[in-house]
Amino acid sequence: MTALAGFGRAGGAMAASLVVAGMLMLLAGHDPVGAYAAMARGVFGSPDRIAVALNRATPYLLAGSGVALCFRAGLANIGAEGQIALGGLAAAAAALLAPGWLPGLAMPAAALLAAATAGAAWSALAGVLRVWRGVHEVLSTLLLNFVAALLVAEALHGDMGEDGSGFPQSPMLDPSAWLPPLVQGLELHAGAPAALLAAAVLQAVLWRTVPGFQWRLLGFSPRAARYAGVPVARATVAVMAVGGALAGVAGGVEVLGVHQRLIEGFSAGFGFAAVAIALVAAAEPLAVVPAAVFFAALETGSQAMQRATGVPSSLVLVIQGLTLLFVLAGLGRRA
Amino acid sequence: MRPAPLLSMQGIEKAYGAVRANQGVDFDVPDGRIVGLLGENGSGKSTLMKILFGMVRPDSGAMLWCGQEYAPRSPADALRAGIGMIHQHFSLAEGMTVAENVSLGWPGAGRWWLRQGRLADQIRAGSAAYGLALEPGSRVADLPLGARQRVEILKALLRGARLLVLDEPTSVLGPAEVAGLLHMLRRLQAGGCSVVLISHKLHEVAAVCDEVVVLRDGRTAARLPRVDATPARLAALLSAAGPAPSIRVAATPGTVRLRLDGVGLRGRLGSVFLDLRAGEVLGLAGTDGNGQQEVAEIAAGLRRPNTGCVTLDGADATGWSARRRMRAGVAYVPADRRGESLVPGMTVAENLVMRDLRAPGFSRWGVLRTAAAAAGARVAIARFGIRAPGPGARVGGLSGGNQQKVALARELTRQPGVLLLVQPTWGLDPGAAAAVRAEVLALRDAGAAVLWASTETEELLEVADHIAVMVAGRVAAVLPRAEASAERLALLIAGPAPACAA
Repeated sequence: MTALAGFGRAGGAMAASLVVAGMLMLLAGHDPVGAYAAMARGVFGSPDRIAVALNRATPYLLAGSGVALCFRAGLANIGAEGQIALGGLAAAAAALLAPGWLPGLAMPAAALLAAATAGAAWSALAGVLRVWRGVHEVLSTLLLNFVAALLVAEALHGDMGEDGSGFPQSPMLDPSAWLPPLVQGLELHAGAPAALLAAAVLQAVLWRTVPGFQWRLLGFSPRAARYAGVPVARATVAVMAVGGALAGVAGGVEVLGVHQRLIEGFSAGFGFAAVAIALVAAAEPLAVVPAAVFFAALETGSQAMQRATGVPSSLVLVIQGLTLLFVLAGLGRRA
Repeated sequence: MRPAPLLSMQGIEKAYGAVRANQGVDFDVPDGRIVGLLGENGSGKSTLMKILFGMVRPDSGAMLWCGQEYAPRSPADALRAGIGMIHQHFSLAEGMTVAENVSLGWPGAGRWWLRQGRLADQIRAGSAAYGLALEPGSRVADLPLGARQRVEILKALLRGARLLVLDEPTSVLGPAEVAGLLHMLRRLQAGGCSVVLISHKLHEVAAVCDEVVVLRDGRTAARLPRVDATPARLAALLSAAGPAPSIRVAATPGTVRLRLDGVGLRGRLGSVFLDLRAGEVLGLAGTDGNGQQEVAEIAAGLRRPNTGCVTLDGADATGWSARRRMRAGVAYVPADRRGESLVPGMTVAENLVMRDLRAPGFSRWGVLRTAAAAAGARVAIARFGIRAPGPGARVGGLSGGNQQKVALARELTRQPGVLLLVQPTWGLDPGAAAAVRAEVLALRDAGAAVLWASTETEELLEVADHIAVMVAGRVAAVLPRAEASAERLALLIAGPAPACAA
């Protein structure tokens, strides 16, 4: 029921932002219908294009659901960026240190587990600082983003860097650790359905289980949560850890499924986009699905639009910004 | 013939979906009169006042103000017309001074530059005229609740209010402050101001109001001149059924269930010794902020004392968490329902289970049994007479009294061995309050140990078997019911030294 309301709000905001951006194109002397058609061809034009768009949506969906969970519990986790970076680092390190040690799917699964652990630890650090020293998580997660980016750079400029490539990237990972394609011959990797499953599970946990209820209680009122017997400190750290684990997996999926190596700055902006996506979805994990696909589709189709019609691809940023604005304006009126 | 009234509301109708909150209410305020507005929780008082202040548009009906048609679209319209509202919860900036609070959003304070000197003079003049005893330079945070209320009244008066509506003004006040407020209302009236007093305290209404209007089920049930408005008559009019008769039976106290053994809290509590015995209600009297809240929180395990210890059935429970004490049978209803005992954004069913999630009835293997919670909520709604559309209704949408019933329903239905109540009947109408007293006394008779903190001594005299009086964080005296009287308690509450307000 609430997920439906989330869908409706997100859908309305997306449609409204497309209309307003279309009017901007008209003002600039472009044909919005042609531009959107070109963009749609860039996204849906061929099975490969669809695969690229869905691959793009996967980290958004994973990290976005994690951020949505934290928002529900009243924790403003804006550290997905750093958690993604460390998740990627951990997945790459696992794949490089133990090439082919495990059979079949166990290898990428183990690497993703490492990614989840790294993301969870990084995020839980902010949770611990919050309950132990009262450091607000906005500050700690934001600053930990920079530290995480520097850790990745440190690794790539040091032991994990590829010799002689002249570029801050790791060597190609052993193919045993790559995420397998979902359909032979397509670029679509197995991360997308896993992310969908994660969002659905998270939705169920939030609305149907005791911990989920306690996390929502915490989000409504920490005092009421304490009164209700919720172990507030433990729950805070747990929520941060789960959110961070999802962001870490997002980083791992990106490394194992798309690049097959660790590249400096591979996550640039994903974590902040995830915050925007979680807000567009009104912190409803299931509603993160359409929001993530929308953001990913815009980005995937933007180049095709620019090539075909000359409308600059950065218009996509305007559409994303407008969507967020519409959602926030709608939420504000409701409150 | 009566002269034309200052305010006349005629045939006001308002329905929220299937709930008909107002069904043709007539309500007049004659010029220069104090009119009491009475009604049970959910009888339509709040809706009527929301309509008066333009927060809600009526479905039908007419309003006349000073003989002119009046259709406010916002509280600002009402204020401009000269109608001021004093809410139960004050809207003051606590860190600012009285003068600053008065000047907030008031064009009279100066359009671009604050005319501070003139403002201070106006505040002193207004304060002197009505006996408000306010200094423009004092910080609101340093003022007792009664004085903060007077700041709200002064704000409305300086903005030119000719009619003041006070919503449950005495619920936050001690006995002395109540007397002061009632006296002040008389002075306001002498100064030409009209007043609407909304209250559940029948004797206050009977004492000060020129006439009384009683609402019942969204209709005007009666309109009485002062001479007819005796507390007994009003109580009979409030509910068709009449108030439940007092059913006091002497207690049969048993063993000590919960003992506070010299607990202290730095700066808040001296060493407090209290025993809660099975089958007994211990009343905790005193004006607000003298440590009652802290005592209850320490007993419930939500606060650790700096000194002393808490024992539960003889075992040292000082270090036990709130959850462990809950499992040991300690139930607690704190005073603050909007931030602590309830979550307004969650549903009635969710609020009813939020402290018992792990109970086998409400979850299995960590998965919530929402159907069981909804069924339990329906039972509680019926048993406690909670006026809510259903288990899925948001608690924030219920009236204050019905919210309190939700919190009480949750704690009382758990069949607690130890029951801690702070201001449990706050905001309840007399009928609902009587029902709560009956439920608590039934639990007591079944062997529960009850702590009942209240600022109303009359209530304690009705329910308590022993009454402890708290003054400035210490227990000044513990009296058996037989030796306690309203006068004796009032003296003890006032304290030996000049009472220091928190």
